[in-house]
Parts: sequence; structure tokens; C-alpha cells
Amino acid sequence: MIDKQKLDKILKKVEKPARYIGMEQNSVQKDLEEMYVKFAFSFPDVYEVGMSHLGMHILYNLINNEDDFACERVFAPWVDMEEEMRDIGLPLFTLESKEEVINFDILGFTLQYEMSYTNILNILDLSNIPLLSKDRDENYPIIIAGGPCAYNPEPLADFIDFFVIGEGEEVVLEVLNLYKEHKANYIKDIFLEDVAKIEGIYVPKFYDVSYNDDGTLKSMKANRKGIKEKIKKRIIKNIDTMFSPEKMIVPYIETVHDRVSMELFRGCTHGCRFCQAGMIYRPIREKSVDRLMELADKLVESTGYENISLSSLSSCDYTNLRILISMLMDKYEDRKVGVSLPSLRLDSFSIDVLKEIEKVRKTGLTFAPEAGSQRLRDVINKGVSEEDLINAVSYAFKEGWSRIKLYFMIGLPTETDEDVLGIKDLAYLVRDLFFNRPKEERLGNFSVSASASCFVPKPFTPFQWVGQNSVDEFMRKIYLVKNSIKDNKVKFNYHDATLSYLEAIFARGDRKLSKLLLKAWEKGCKYDGWSEYFKYDLWIEAMEETDTDGEFYALRDRDTQELFPWDFIDIGVSKKYLLREYKKAMAGETTNDCRLGCTGCGIPDCVMRGESVGN
Amino acid sequence: MRLFQRCFNRSQIPIKYSEGFNPHPKFSIAHPLSLGIESEGEFMEIDLAEEISIEDFIDKMNYSLPKDIQIVKAKYVDGDESVTKLISYAFYEIKLLISKETEIENIENITREWLKNDEILITRYRKKGKNKILVDENIKPLIGNVVVKGFDDHNFLVINALFKVGEKGNLKPMDFIGAMNRDLKLDIDMDLVYIKRLNLFAEENGKLYSPM
Repeated sequence: MIDKQKLDKILKKVEKPARYIGMEQNSVQKDLEEMYVKFAFSFPDVYEVGMSHLGMHILYNLINNEDDFACERVFAPWVDMEEEMRDIGLPLFTLESKEEVINFDILGFTLQYEMSYTNILNILDLSNIPLLSKDRDENYPIIIAGGPCAYNPEPLADFIDFFVIGEGEEVVLEVLNLYKEHKANYIKDIFLEDVAKIEGIYVPKFYDVSYNDDGTLKSMKANRKGIKEKIKKRIIKNIDTMFSPEKMIVPYIETVHDRVSMELFRGCTHGCRFCQAGMIYRPIREKSVDRLMELADKLVESTGYENISLSSLSSCDYTNLRILISMLMDKYEDRKVGVSLPSLRLDSFSIDVLKEIEKVRKTGLTFAPEAGSQRLRDVINKGVSEEDLINAVSYAFKEGWSRIKLYFMIGLPTETDEDVLGIKDLAYLVRDLFFNRPKEERLGNFSVSASASCFVPKPFTPFQWVGQNSVDEFMRKIYLVKNSIKDNKVKFNYHDATLSYLEAIFARGDRKLSKLLLKAWEKGCKYDGWSEYFKYDLWIEAMEETDTDGEFYALRDRDTQELFPWDFIDIGVSKKYLLREYKKAMAGETTNDCRLGCTGCGIPDCVMRGESVGN
Repeated sequence: MRLFQRCFNRSQIPIKYSEGFNPHPKFSIAHPLSLGIESEGEFMEIDLAEEISIEDFIDKMNYSLPKDIQIVKAKYVDGDESVTKLISYAFYEIKLLISKETEIENIENITREWLKNDEILITRYRKKGKNKILVDENIKPLIGNVVVKGFDDHNFLVINALFKVGEKGNLKPMDFIGAMNRDLKLDIDMDLVYIKRLNLFAEENGKLYSPM
């Protein structure tokens, strides 16, 4: 255990000390001496962000429900706390037992976004754990990682001992049970060889990579007998019966999401071509209404939260949404527990649903057309027409809402300036829809805001072959829209293009990027996802000093024959399908929602179809 | 506040809510403590929409509350009596690490002599118009009884002190310690001061009593 007096001293000097004390309602502290496997879970960002992550609550309760295992949390200390810790010589510790992270058996990171990677290195360093996998022997914890970015794990291959690809509810326990068996005579290499046999586990050290002269990947081959050439992602077949937490830790301080989060279903059927989540979480699997009501009951009871958020990739698509909502409203309205939907489909159905859950129209409504013109929306397969937008927004205004937020991306493939200006057109259209109403029918104070983020091509999407726009090009387009908006009721926000550039580098990066990541961290880069700490200049310096060509990773259009660093992973959806979708995109052709008819993405045994279709 | 709000929800206590678009539960904590101070005795007022038995209330709340925060006693009061306005004194246990002086008697003496002064000044920021300016304030009238108890097992000096609290005069323990450090030259480790509020009191006719 760490020196508590040292901790007490520095807690008085930092902002929001509650970030570091633990002891929350529903937190679990076991006697670590009695545990067979001690697992430290880390979301590599500050407490308030990490505690809002649903995956954390799932894994935390899954592991702690086992008598022999303990799961404790460690987040990235805020900048002020880190300074005090380094000053006074306090190593990083877990919240529950205040035990040094280095004393745990396994330290697991969740990879939610690429710009959290420097925080991962920082957490290892603050724990006095060597950063490189090869420098860690049996005296150090095994370092593992999972989550969406694990679908291209290569930039972190030198730092992580093994990755967990896919859904964790079953495989995490398999890994811990295997570790338990090895514990008495633990030899790292032998454990790694054994764990590599579990489906979904990728051990980077068992593969050799080679590159062509032009820098592209030449080959990735297993360098040991018995190691699989391809790693198949793990999915849970029946999410109704799978483990789902019935308790959530209730933080003392305000976090990003102060509410019960309930997953309605996994996967998505829309097939939007920019979206990685829509591809990697296939096939779609829904929870039953009964199961959801049961979970809601237990979660509200154990937390006392005032709001239940129905989260999924596109919650409005849930088959029995109306029934679920009316059952939830029946049960919880009097108890002042509200229901919320994180995102809305662009149609009147969504508005109807919203009418039921929001008796007072206090929030704004958010829609995501993503592109400013129909032509471009067809390219990205976002099945939304201008008519849909007009209907949805008009209906919303009629029902009393007056604040609208529109999400867009800039830099989509085949984009023209005309497409970009379409953002302004749509925002103005929304404004007109409001003010064209007779004066007495205009309810509330109107505002519309358009937010544009910079498109980052992601692995395992039809756009994985596409080059990103350059930072200059992004800025030119952003100013094009900005300067075209002259109405002060119409707001335009945009994201940092330089951050998006870095994101694009790592998203489709290879193992060579570990040098860059290490150098950037050494130079002091951390909390890159926070605008006040992102140091683009240091990253550029780091790229120069490590001879890394960022444009090679971010801006380059890929050849259709190119081998990608992530091709060794099998996500079910075939590369052939993604390529077909890419070509359709270039031709401006749409693909239907697969609920309406199978599109042949390659997923075997998909419940949407009911029977297997070959590829 | 959030903690209690969630507890009311979890234990389904029939708390009254304010009117309007953003209803919030009607309760308040008397003279809330600054961050970092421990307590053994705090007071809270709650408006209930319907009456429940005191036993029921305490049981339900304590089941929901973290085991280190528990309801000790509860009672119904009439109408407009505000427990916050009633309370005027706070009783603290303070633990300090000092480098100079290890004899308890000496410490008692110099403390007693120091407290005989009519004036003990500290400088505080006070609002003047739009700005904040530094002013000298005499904290002597805000100090009730101070007793030097002795050293504990970890060599911390333990002091019990009664300070005024509320609108008619408020003394923060750290301000007192700051003045003590400056005047008594005991070389207190200001980073390692442990403060615990033991109780809150009301006063009538020169006598202290608990609002309960």
C-alpha cells in the first residue's frame, strides 16, 4: 500500500481530490492478499471521463463477482496531481485499496480513442512499470488492452503484452482463469503462449512484420508454432443472457454521465460507410424488454440516479422501443427518474418517442445529417434525405422544441465545395422552418448550431482506403462555411483539424509508430484529447525526430491491393464487402439498411437473417 | 448534496420538491464544511411531503448511506425554525505536527498566554465594491474555549477548540492554525493538519446546547 500520509498531504493541494479517494457507493474493496488474481482496470483519462464509460462498469462488476478475483480502478491523475505525485515520490495507485499498480497481476487498458495513447505511457511510467513489453519480466504486471482501437492494435504493439479483440464479457474471465492456473509457476513467455490459444487474444510478440520499400506492409507472419495467422474477434451470441451489471459505482463528484446507462442492443444495421462501430460490432443483437426492465430496476435501486440513458449505436432502431419507453415511464415517472435517448433518428417517430419522455421540452434536439448535400449523404450511405430533415424538424417545432443541433463531417470522400456549403444551407433551412411558422405558433427561443468535425478514415470501414484531407484543406473548408454564415441565430462550431490529423495517423498506423508515440510522450505530450493540453508543435517535432511521415499514414489514398496492418483480424464483415461498399460510394450508390434485406457483409449466423449465407 | 439526493431517491424518502421546471429536493446542510475536514456531528434540514416515522427515516437512510456517513438522530420541528440560524458555535478536534517544543506544559502555557490577548489579527480578502481587498480581522472574539489535549500515538499535537460559526461571526479552523503558527513559532507542518468537527451548538444565555 502507498504511504497514506504522503497522499493526505498532496490531496489538500489538488483540484477535485475526490478523483483519487475511491470509497464510492458500489465500489468493491477486497482483501488483496486473499485474491488469486489482482486485476487493475484503467481508462486512460481523468476520473470523470473514465467513470462515465459503460465498459468499465461492466468489467468491474463482472470480475468482482468472482470470489477469487479482484478488480480495482486506476485513472490518469490530473496534471496537478501528477506533479505533486512525482514531487513527493508517490507511485500510481488503485482507488480501492490504494495499492501500487505495480503490485497487481494484470493491468488492463481500454482503448477508446487514439489520442489517449500518451496517457497510457504516462500511467505506466507513473507506476514505475517499463514501457516496452520486452523490458518487462515476471516481476511486472502483464499489460493488456481492449476496446474499439484494439481493432488496429499495431501502433501499441511494442507496449502491450496482449490485446483482447472483441466483446469482453466471456474472454476476460477466460484470461483471468488461465492466469490463475499459471500463477504458482508463472513464466511470462509460457503464459503468453497459452493465452494466445484463447480466441480473440492477440500477442504481438508472436508475429513478425516486414515492410515494402514504399513503407506499406509486406507481411505479418506468426513466428512460433501453433500461433494462429488470423485472430477472430469475440462476440457474445446471446446478450440477453450474458452478464450485465446490476450495480454501478456512484461517484461523489459530477462525471460526464451522471446516469444509469443501459445497452439496448449491440451492432447497427444502417451501414454508414464512415462508421467503424457499425462494422465491428456486427451482427446486431437485441436485449429483451423484460431483461431491460429487470436491469433498470436493479440499477436504479443500487444507484439512486435520476436518469436512465438508453444507449446503443442507434437507439431509435430498437424493435420494441415504444413498449420499453412506456413501461419505463409507467414505472419511474412518479419517482422522478427520467429517461433519455442519446441520439435521435431523423424522422417523426423519434420525435413521438421524445414527446413521451420529455414532458417539458427543455433540451435541444440533436440530429446528424453528417453531410451537407444529398449527393454526399448517398456517398457515405447516410440514409437521410432533406425531406426527412424538414419533416422531423417541423414536427419538433410544432411540438414545442426550439433548439436544434446538427452534426456534420468535413473532408468526406468526393466532397466538393458545394457539398461543404450545403452545411450552411441545411442550417439556414432549419432557421427558415422555424421563422416561417406563424408568429403565435413559434414556441420558445430559437437557436440552431451546426458542428463540423474533421473526417478521420478508420480501419474496417469502406473508407479505409481513403486519404484524409490535409489540415490546410480542412481549414479552407471550415472558413468557407464560417464565412458564409451571416445570421447570428445560426452558430457554427468546428473541431481542431490538427488533432484529427494525429488521430488519422494512429488510426491506420503500423508498428513503426511506436517510436513516434514514445518520443511524443518523452517530450511531454499527454491529455492530447483535451484542447488545453494538446501540443501539436511537440508532435510535429517528434515526427521529425523519429523520421515519421505523418502524411503517409493520414493523407495517402490506399491501393485496393494493399495489405493493411489490421487485416490479420477477422471481424466477420469481409474485406471484399468493404471494398464493394467503397466502390459503390465512389459511384454514389446507396446500400439499404440490412433489416430490410441482407446485404451480404459476410457475418455468419446473423440473427437479422435467421440463417447463414455464404460470402 | 448529490450524495444525499441519491440517498433520498434510493430509499424512497418522500422529500418535498420545489416548484417549477427544474424541481429539486428541499433540504439543506447547516454551515457546510470546507473540503478536507472530517466530522462527527453535522445537521441537516429536510422538507418532507408526507410524514414518516423517525425510526423508518433513520433506518432507510442509513441503509442507503455509505457506512461512514450515518444519521444519528432525527426529529420534527415546527414551521419556520431554521437550525442553520440557531447554530452559532462549532467544536473541533485539530491534530498538528510540530517541530519545535515537545513539552506539553510549555505548549499549554504559551497557548494560554497567547489567548489572553485582546487582539489576534489575520488578513483576509473581503469584497469592496467589485474588487477584493486585504483587510485585517480580529479573530479573538470568535474563539471560544481552546484546550491542548496532548500528543497522540503518532506524535501529533491534539487540540480541542470552540469557534464561532455563522452569519454573526465565522472562524475557519485553518485561519486559526495559520495565526497560531505565525505567533507561537511552533513550526507547524501546514500540509499535514487534520481537522475534525465534533459538534455544532446553539447558544442561549451564555450556555451552549445542542439543537437536537
